[in-house]
Amino acid sequence: MKRVFAFLLAGALVIGSTPAFAHHSFAAEFDGNKPVRLVGKLTRVEWTNPHSYFYVDIVNPKTGATENWGCEGAGPGALSRRGWKKGDLKIGDAVVVDGYRAKDGSHLIDARRVTLPDGRSIYGGSPGDGGPGDNGTDQGNLPNTTGAKKN
Amino acid sequence: MQPLFIALGHSALGHYMQTSVWGFAVVEAIHLLALAVLGGSVLVVDLRLLGVIFRKESTRTLDRDLSRLLLGSLVILILTGIAMVSEEALKCYFSPAFRWKMTLLAVAVLFYFTIHRHALLRADINGLTAWSRIAAAISMGLWLGVGVAGRAIGFL
Amino acid sequence: MAAIVFEPFLQHVCQLFYDSQIGTTIRESDNAFPIIESVHVLSITLVAGTIAVLDLRMLGAILRSTPVRRVAGSVLPLTWSGFVVSFVSGFLLFWSEAAKNYGNPAFRIKLVLLILAGLNSLIFHTGIYRSAREWELAAAAPWRARVAAIVSLTLWSGIIVAGRAIAYF
Repeated sequence: MKRVFAFLLAGALVIGSTPAFAHHSFAAEFDGNKPVRLVGKLTRVEWTNPHSYFYVDIVNPKTGATENWGCEGAGPGALSRRGWKKGDLKIGDAVVVDGYRAKDGSHLIDARRVTLPDGRSIYGGSPGDGGPGDNGTDQGNLPNTTGAKKN
Repeated sequence: MQPLFIALGHSALGHYMQTSVWGFAVVEAIHLLALAVLGGSVLVVDLRLLGVIFRKESTRTLDRDLSRLLLGSLVILILTGIAMVSEEALKCYFSPAFRWKMTLLAVAVLFYFTIHRHALLRADINGLTAWSRIAAAISMGLWLGVGVAGRAIGFL
Repeated sequence: MAAIVFEPFLQHVCQLFYDSQIGTTIRESDNAFPIIESVHVLSITLVAGTIAVLDLRMLGAILRSTPVRRVAGSVLPLTWSGFVVSFVSGFLLFWSEAAKNYGNPAFRIKLVLLILAGLNSLIFHTGIYRSAREWELAAAAPWRARVAAIVSLTLWSGIIVAGRAIAYF
């Protein structure tokens, strides 16, 4: 009985809200059919738990307008285990971010590969997460030049 | 093993979990609630075996009801756990934290039905001995390990 | 009325916590945040898991032959210890995310439910529990105690779920 109560409450809390994402695997949050490459200037870095975010100003090739896009990455612990440091990214840096668009259409991508100004590139997925470049390791096998330009 | 995980990911359950907006959230919430109940049962029984609480209470009496709570919540944890794995099957397969969790879980369950059960039943007759205390400590350590490994899945 | 003055002040306080050295260090940490968060999540076993044992006893679901006050005497110290751990770890998590938590509906709901859980406990302990000696041997407790038990189970379930939902906003 109390279990039913609790589940109804849980359901109401979750459904009554409209979360933009389910916050776990690639497939639930991002669209593997919408690859994107963002080329632009870093405007903001949030080196935060549980997820890092960095924001890039890009020029929309269709409209010519400048848009600010968010890229979601792993938490600081996971990133530093791959050789990133907070100071590696500086505001104004020219970066290339390859990723996949959020299913809800917002200006958010899941950062699969980030190429820094010094040429270093870091794989952003987790082994086995099923996203592009996933080969079961934390290096990934995304080529350095991915396909689609931003549409 | 890997084909098993791939199959789980491609199953009907897997497809549902991967596409449903709130499916994972609800399943995970249930997993958390069951975790609280399991943890509470483990704590009460093992602290009794350590002689910290319920000193006047028969371990058999405590175990009769708390084991039902423990096993009931364990079943729910396993079912919701399978559902969550189906959502990101390969990621779990490759995750060292997940492998640790499964290993510790297997050991914890095995320990529970053998040495721990024995210690519980003997405690009423022999009182608290070094053995019962060690069994309690190992039990708590194993279940804690399962919990910690579970959290680590998300952080690695 | 008072909210109009209070709310911006609260938001400012949250921002101060967020921007502080401690808050920032936790938020940007490699390991501290994961560890604090894990402690917080696992502490639900100490708080909710143990109080559930007492609640289920009063509902007559378990340990029917054990007097209620004996169950309470064994369980409540665990619950309180657990609450201290939850509170400290939770406060540290809040410290690191305060500015984001401020507007987060799940966080607000969680706090409200926590207050309600505290109220429920207070009402129970100063009310029906005072006469526990008279009813503690019965398999199921008087209706007031059973209501308190159901409310407790529901609120703590809600607190746990709301806590998890914080990440979704």
